[in-house]
Amino acid sequence: MLHWIQYVKGYVSIKVWGYSTERFLNLCGNHDILVWDIENCGDYYTMKVSLKGFFALKTLLRKTGTRASVLQRHGLPFFVPEMKKRKIFVFGLLLCLTFWMVTTHYIWDIRIEGNYTLTEDVLMDYLEEQGVHTAMRKKELQIEELEMQLREEYDIITWASLKVDGTTLIIQIRENEIAGSNYDGQSDEGMTEPGNSAESGRDIVASRDGVIVYMITRKGIPQVAVGDTVEKGQVLVSGAVPVYNDDTTIRRYQYYEADADIMITYEKSICVERKTAWQDKEYSGKEKKILLFGFRDKEWNLSAGKVPYETYDISGEKKQVQLLDHLYLPFFYGVKHAKEYAFVPKIHTDEEMNQIMEEEWNKILKTLEEKGVQIIEKNVTINKNEKVWVLNVSMQLMEEAIMKVPNRTEQIPVTESEEEVLTE
Amino acid sequence: MKPSLSRQKEMIVESLRLPKDTMLGDSIVTVTGNREAFIENYKGILEYTKESIVLQGKNCRISFQGKGLSIDYYTNEDMKIGGNIESVRYF
Repeated sequence: MLHWIQYVKGYVSIKVWGYSTERFLNLCGNHDILVWDIENCGDYYTMKVSLKGFFALKTLLRKTGTRASVLQRHGLPFFVPEMKKRKIFVFGLLLCLTFWMVTTHYIWDIRIEGNYTLTEDVLMDYLEEQGVHTAMRKKELQIEELEMQLREEYDIITWASLKVDGTTLIIQIRENEIAGSNYDGQSDEGMTEPGNSAESGRDIVASRDGVIVYMITRKGIPQVAVGDTVEKGQVLVSGAVPVYNDDTTIRRYQYYEADADIMITYEKSICVERKTAWQDKEYSGKEKKILLFGFRDKEWNLSAGKVPYETYDISGEKKQVQLLDHLYLPFFYGVKHAKEYAFVPKIHTDEEMNQIMEEEWNKILKTLEEKGVQIIEKNVTINKNEKVWVLNVSMQLMEEAIMKVPNRTEQIPVTESEEEVLTE
Repeated sequence: MKPSLSRQKEMIVESLRLPKDTMLGDSIVTVTGNREAFIENYKGILEYTKESIVLQGKNCRISFQGKGLSIDYYTNEDMKIGGNIESVRYF
């Protein structure tokens, strides 16, 4: 602390020599001139004296017949005039400090934690709608209100917490795991109770044309049987379960969410054409480096001139300016590389074409596998000629091509006499 | 025999339990190991070399003998001496 005070007030290292240096030191003490770090260097003494004390030394030096010279200047009073010569440096320093102080009042990064079902994009879009985005003022952020809005907007969010760490807004959420499966509209329970389900009853309909090959109904009334040909949109299992009168007439309907395992088989043909001639990119080896600078969504090239190539590929990377751990600024920088190339006409060899066709076939298989489609029968042929190879695939496929739609069976109006019976 | 003036003064200070350093002007020397010494109530510096520092007190002189002696700081009231102190002598 004492050092800081000395630094702020300023002090000098001096060299004192002459007739009676001890008397000089005594007089310094008597005149309350603070002197420290006194060293005897044989013929002379070195010591440090405060700036104020230094100006009071003149009479003492004359009185004691000693002389003094300044060896070194220390402290802020000497630093400031030195800095006056470096105006641009000081200006830059002040600008930097101002920039720093201003930018810390804004949010520069939004981090979402704990989301599994809700994607980051969905939440970000919602936040944007609510006026929460990067480069917004921290003051404008209504944390508690936003927490409540998030919980109200998304039923799946059971708990939300927002906190500002540095310039990063951290949003922590907890999702309801049970509700998670309901979020996309598929209930785990699968069955709704009759009576209160008049509106939520659902039918199972075919999502494509085909033939039923397998069917087990758990809930609802089957409308088709194994071996039947069905069309897209046709009701396979009805969610409206009729309640019969004694005379086998329908009294009313009870609505359920129909549930069944149904497999539909159908035929499908796929034709893939690939030309043997193709254009290869031949890189000339010439490359132009483009420095870029960006602010938020905008981007500027720092390199002068246009890219001098007719055809070129661009690749590169850009980074967001980050200070400390969480201080993200809305500035980007990076480098792009423009690589020149020229198209060279080439023709695939038979071996290459075979490989390409195999890849295409694998792609088809992968797509079917991802959709959960089973292949019952397949017929794959490749027709070749000099210019084009054609992959013809005709398959018999089987899949659970069903979807659930709201039930459309209208309730039978209850007559007065029936109503009496019901109330009894 | 009547005690001297200084002795009389000392007796009064002692009987009234007053601080001797302020009343009689005695120097207080605090030596920490043989590395540093802290002196209060001194009047001036008589000699200052690397081997010896001699101070003037009100009633006596205090001499510090040693090697590499230096005055870390001093004011009108107190002083701090650093270095390798070999002996302290009053005369």
